Amino acid sequence: MNAIEIRNLTKTFREKRAVDGLSMTVPQGAIYGFIGENGSGKSTTEKLICGLIQPSGGEIKLFGKDHRDQGVRSQIGVLIEAPGCFPNYTVWNNMKLQAANLGLKHEDEEIRRVLHLVRMDGAASNKFKNCSLGMKQRIGIAFALLGNPALLVLDEPINGLDADGMRIMREILLGLSRRGTTVLISSHILGELEKIATHYGIIRNGKMLREMTAEELNANCPTYVALKTDDMEKAQAILQRAFGRADMDKQTGEIRVYNVYAEDVAKYLFGNFGIAVSEIRTAKISLEEYYINLMQEGRK
Amino acid sequence: MNENVKTGDFGKRLKTMLKVDARRMFTMPAVYIMLAISLVLPVLILVMTSFIGGADPTTGEAAATFTSVWQAIGSAGGNAMSMDITSMCNINLLYFLVAIFVCLFVGDDFRSGYVKNLFTVRSKKLDYVLSKTIVLFAASAGMFLLYFIGAMIGGGIAGLSFDVAAVGASAGGIVACMISKVFFALVFVSIALTLATVGKQKLWLSILGSLAAGMLLFTMIPMMTPLNAGALNVILCVLGGPIFAAGLGTVSNVILSKTSLV
Repeated sequence: MNAIEIRNLTKTFREKRAVDGLSMTVPQGAIYGFIGENGSGKSTTEKLICGLIQPSGGEIKLFGKDHRDQGVRSQIGVLIEAPGCFPNYTVWNNMKLQAANLGLKHEDEEIRRVLHLVRMDGAASNKFKNCSLGMKQRIGIAFALLGNPALLVLDEPINGLDADGMRIMREILLGLSRRGTTVLISSHILGELEKIATHYGIIRNGKMLREMTAEELNANCPTYVALKTDDMEKAQAILQRAFGRADMDKQTGEIRVYNVYAEDVAKYLFGNFGIAVSEIRTAKISLEEYYINLMQEGRK
Repeated sequence: MNENVKTGDFGKRLKTMLKVDARRMFTMPAVYIMLAISLVLPVLILVMTSFIGGADPTTGEAAATFTSVWQAIGSAGGNAMSMDITSMCNINLLYFLVAIFVCLFVGDDFRSGYVKNLFTVRSKKLDYVLSKTIVLFAASAGMFLLYFIGAMIGGGIAGLSFDVAAVGASAGGIVACMISKVFFALVFVSIALTLATVGKQKLWLSILGSLAAGMLLFTMIPMMTPLNAGALNVILCVLGGPIFAAGLGTVSNVILSKTSLV
């Protein structure tokens, strides 16, 4: 069964279509990286899933049931934009409210557990407004984890987190995924997302541009050899003829040749044409690069 | 220990929502401020008006002021409100305070973003409306009770008469008057609650709307809840208040269900 199934979802704000016939499928237990430019409709889609705004059309199913079903809704943990906490209350009191809202039996134990998970044990007595941005994000995640939800909806949860915070977040999400929790996570920090996501959905102008698994992304992101020589123009022309494709990376000033071995390229250039390679490395197209290319293609 | 959320039936859901609102009520400084104002306000009004006195600026005649402590609770006869100080500065002022408090209490849910946590796990908005109405009604009842106590203290300090018959009322009538007033507060609670769900993050809008609605209803209060209230007044308020609240509660429920919450 899929954790989230969306068909032809639309949301119109006055004349603007924020979500435009979007369809997406998030399998149960997946960590689904939801990617898109600012204003592409990610947050709106997440709010629609959580029932915080009403769709103009389409269908949202969570675990096979309508997203308005009370039984299903009680299984969602959410962090959208900023954590919904009362600024003048302590972290503990804020969490007690949410624990009561969820109807948890052992509130104190559960609050201590989730605060410990996000390494915020010591912040319980702090007023929420006095917490730093990073602390607030972690507390927001602790909020979302209360009651062990089956589905986590996280909108930009790693924003404001330091390196340690990101590592902790990664560990938590991977641990949850292993236990069968489904995570829908949107983020602009694609390098971080790439480390954890099992599925991806790329959204543009409210429409789903591409949905794929991490394996499919891997297949779409070839390895390449990046090199520098003393005669770049000549080398590029030779490599283009020999290997079919050799791109000049304007940012790094390197020539890129795809799906080849570094040793073969260096030997070929020097052995046949006497062109010495000064620098050479093997790399792989990252999610970020793939995403940027996809967006540029879309614009064209 | 990990535990999953209990979804429950209507009763259980309402119970958990009431627990949330009761907790908020007791941890919110505004509640204690409102209760303190309710207690202190009648003391200040009775003591200051008795000691200062004054003249009507238009006629130059001595202004009508408090002669009996019960005037701070209401006026007998059930006539429409007159414009003297005893009619303007009495327990009926609390209705405005109740309206402001409702807007603050509900508006805070939206302004802090707490509604995201609340409504993500709660698809039935009726629980929210019902729980808010009950909790805010209880708080307003507390405010009316404290005002009553404050009036007794203020009257004692100002040396006002406690003679019930002198103001054309009876002890039973005053009890009935207080019961009527407390239940009439449900009208203000539900109006402010509905406007707060319309205004959401825009607290100023819900407060202004509630005060404007309160001004329209203000002249009705002395007629509905006179000092010598009888069974009819009590029945009208005890039944009418909840019926009015149920009607506007339905409207609030529809607003929350059909509009964006964030």
